[in-house]
Amino acid sequence: MFAARDDAPEAEAHEGERALLRRARTGDPVAFRLLFERHSPAVWRFLKDSFRDEAAADEATQETFVRAHGRLATLRDEDRLASWLLGIARLVFLEARRSRGVHLDVDGEESEGLVEAVLPTPTPEDLLLDRETEALLTQALGHLTEVRRSALLLRIDHGLPYEEIAQVMGWSLPKVKNEIHRARLQLRERLAAHVGGRS
Amino acid sequence: MSNVCREQDLDALLAGELSLADAERVRAHSETCAACNHALAWLKLERGWMAQRARRMPARPALNFAALEARLAAANAPARPASAPGVASRRSERATPRRRSDWSHRAVMALGAVAAVSFILFSVTQVRPVHSTEELWSQDVLASGLLQACVDPSGEAVAALEDRFSACLIASPAVPTY
Repeated sequence: MFAARDDAPEAEAHEGERALLRRARTGDPVAFRLLFERHSPAVWRFLKDSFRDEAAADEATQETFVRAHGRLATLRDEDRLASWLLGIARLVFLEARRSRGVHLDVDGEESEGLVEAVLPTPTPEDLLLDRETEALLTQALGHLTEVRRSALLLRIDHGLPYEEIAQVMGWSLPKVKNEIHRARLQLRERLAAHVGGRS
Repeated sequence: MSNVCREQDLDALLAGELSLADAERVRAHSETCAACNHALAWLKLERGWMAQRARRMPARPALNFAALEARLAAANAPARPASAPGVASRRSERATPRRRSDWSHRAVMALGAVAAVSFILFSVTQVRPVHSTEELWSQDVLASGLLQACVDPSGEAVAALEDRFSACLIASPAVPTY
């Protein structure tokens, strides 16, 4: 039911990735291609959620990997390749926004006063993400401020630990926890009408 | 939800980030806590939806490694004259700041040249002798015809001139001949 810590498969995957990374650093194009194929879908998804524009996400994904290719030697912690790539992706996103003269939205006030207790409890039937629900989810994510949405997705979509999210976002650890908590409450409030007891 | 069971702990439990002992503790508590059950249901829902969403990745051109290879080739060989269209557009984007910096460099060089020429011209104009107020006064008096120019700096000539007017008229004994 719950995921308890079983390090064996994860460690094996990390070891495989470390080996690929070392080969890519020596200029092995096959290794870099494998890393690209492994991580580019997540990077694209993160950028698409940030821009909310698929074409912009395409361009930014390519730019992210061009930069990553040139800076592989600067990656200190080989176990943090995913968060390193997502950090580059976020920088690319911010630069693109700045070059377009778009200012980042500030933290929203919408979440203030949310009461978790009023939310319905999801049922197992709710777990299926049909097209309608996916559209609703996308809409609900879109109502979050960009920074809050990014922080939340780095956690629930990309599975980054809070410490790595803090690095990617340039925030303190308490702020990361607070923003993700607020983002969750906001998201749940938006989705509440669609889950729990719908039939 | 009490302090014993926080949502972050439940989140970490689902993410497999807890040690076996902590996972057991949080799991045991959550099974008896209604608030934790509620929070867990939402956390599982979010994770489940995100996983399904991730599996529905559309085929995007950005995920084509060949396109990336072209960009990498362009980035590594910026001086090549011909390239693929995608590469060309990228190169033009990259070239713009460089061109801008070339122009600004040239503008600075031109400004420097103008400043140097101005300085030289200014210096040349300053080479002309500037006479003191006294000299100008004496020249004016001489030019008016009231006095003969003291071209002879000898004491006799000066004394003779002063004798004619019974006064010392010229403070400077001589006007330069140049």
